[in-house]
Amino acid sequence: MKKISLFQVAYKNLLRKKTRSILTLVGIGLAGWVLVSLFGFNQGYEASLNRDIDNLGFQMLVIAKGCPYEAATLMLKGGTGLKYLKEDVVGLVAREPEVEGVTPMLMQVVFDPNKGESGGFSAFLGVDPKTFPTLKGTLKFHTGGWFTESEAAEAVFGYEAAELEQREVGDSYLIPEKNVEVKVVGVLERTGTQDDGTIFLPFRTVQRVFGISNELTGIGIKVRKEADIAKFEEKMYALPDVQVVSLAQVKTTIMNLVGTARVLVFSIAVIAILIAMMGVVNTILMSVMERRQEIGILKSMGAQALDIFKLVWLETVILCLAGGAVGSVLAVGTAKLTDVLVRNLLPYAPSGGLVQINVRLVLVTLGVVTLIGLLSGIYPSWRAGRLRPLDAIRSEVES
Amino acid sequence: MSMKIKLVGWLALGLAAAAVALYAAVGCDLNDPDRDVKRLFPESTSYKTLYVSIAKKGGEPLLRKVESRLGDTFKGLYETADVPYTMYQIFRGEELIGYIHGVNQKGQYGGIQVFLALDTKGVIRGFYFQKLTSKAAKLFREPAFGAQFVGLSLKDFEAYDVVTGTEDPPGRVGRIKNPDPGSESDFRAALRGAKKNLILVDEFLLGSPGAAELKSPSSIQLGVQP
Repeated sequence: MKKISLFQVAYKNLLRKKTRSILTLVGIGLAGWVLVSLFGFNQGYEASLNRDIDNLGFQMLVIAKGCPYEAATLMLKGGTGLKYLKEDVVGLVAREPEVEGVTPMLMQVVFDPNKGESGGFSAFLGVDPKTFPTLKGTLKFHTGGWFTESEAAEAVFGYEAAELEQREVGDSYLIPEKNVEVKVVGVLERTGTQDDGTIFLPFRTVQRVFGISNELTGIGIKVRKEADIAKFEEKMYALPDVQVVSLAQVKTTIMNLVGTARVLVFSIAVIAILIAMMGVVNTILMSVMERRQEIGILKSMGAQALDIFKLVWLETVILCLAGGAVGSVLAVGTAKLTDVLVRNLLPYAPSGGLVQINVRLVLVTLGVVTLIGLLSGIYPSWRAGRLRPLDAIRSEVES
Repeated sequence: MSMKIKLVGWLALGLAAAAVALYAAVGCDLNDPDRDVKRLFPESTSYKTLYVSIAKKGGEPLLRKVESRLGDTFKGLYETADVPYTMYQIFRGEELIGYIHGVNQKGQYGGIQVFLALDTKGVIRGFYFQKLTSKAAKLFREPAFGAQFVGLSLKDFEAYDVVTGTEDPPGRVGRIKNPDPGSESDFRAALRGAKKNLILVDEFLLGSPGAAELKSPSSIQLGVQP
């Protein structure tokens, strides 16, 4: 006679009520899907944000007091709405022992009446040819390179800016409003960050073209690894009329904003898991009730309460593991779609993948779902295990 | 963390996002399709947007055919077979009344976006620079310059050589006046852009066998006039 394992018995029991088992499995699968996607978002968003901040090349930005970088100001007033720092501040910052490198920046915006039906804005970022390339070591060139001189009439285009302006190395580019020609000396590789849409010029050239002397709109600061950023930030506030933006703060701010959305989604996930758990308990309990006679016979033939408990518990675990696997496959398969949806919902989304699902994450989720299965299965299994054989057989006959 | 710091941090990244937004459109879409369609086709009630590229619709052979009809090769980093073209089919009720299509064209000092509004036979009823970086931009954007294109079709451009900027035998395209002789290269770029635009509309929407395939629902997005 062929011997069958406990697993096979449990599996066959589940197949006896296929529709009910499949519906339960779908419920667990959906909960697993939400869980994997959520965990994937959790690690993907932070990783992408960290990468964006690292790509900036500096951890701190000193700007003039009064939010000169306010996007609305730039859009409404162009260059006239900007507030400036004195260039001397660069020297003051650079001599601090915590500083590894500084780079002055000067942003200017011009109104281009020939962009669109009613005109548009073009932004230019003036950077220091000596320090900026060092601090932004992650930038790679598609063609060409950085400026040849600190006051050269040259431009480096981010990839998308170059694509829009159809510029290649060696081409000329006309700065709107100022009607000043610059030569394109470099086109950057696509980075997926704001650099893609930026036109870089030497900051001295920007000062000359826009008639600004000894002033900047910002200073990027790279702080030494061993330095206490919080203390250094306090020190920077001692400088007159400056605002310090630490990118660690920016990150915290964004993570706080995103955290609200995350709590909401976590709550939904918890509800989904609770519903799935109830579904599992209900399915297994119904299955136990329907099989009272069968369980009674098993017990009268010598099966111990623990054997029945193990059998029913195994059914729960199989359901949950299969549901978890379905959920994981769904999450991996729809990761890109989830990415697009999340990106549209969030107020700020960094570049790169927002949902990162890896093997470890899938295994953790399977573990969580299995644990939920084990917990959900305790009560029905216990009920099944403590059935009295004679009562069970009699009740079935009576019904 | 104080609200002020949060705000500044937020705005610093807002700027980053704004910088991207300034240059987000790398294809050649209408900036504001609802408004622009109504302006170019006041009688329209709805429009459909079709997305297509030479690479997807015909690959290398189609690229060669388009280049041959243009009389010039696709040049540089950005004029390639995989450039996505956005074509707008314009409707009055159920009736198709025309098309709008734009192309990117390299100018002397920057990118030029040449948009054409065409009737169902491919005759130009509107010429529009959506973007133009040129020393003579103001003159090129004068309505009088665009008006010279109205009534022309691809047939009129066939004898126009985009490389030499001449037409043999002389015809209507050759009579289009350059508003600024000092900006000859931008003038030629505008004409090359217009010819390329007409060829692509002909290949994708009007004349070629592949045009019918474009009407498959997967490549269509519906826009309804407000």
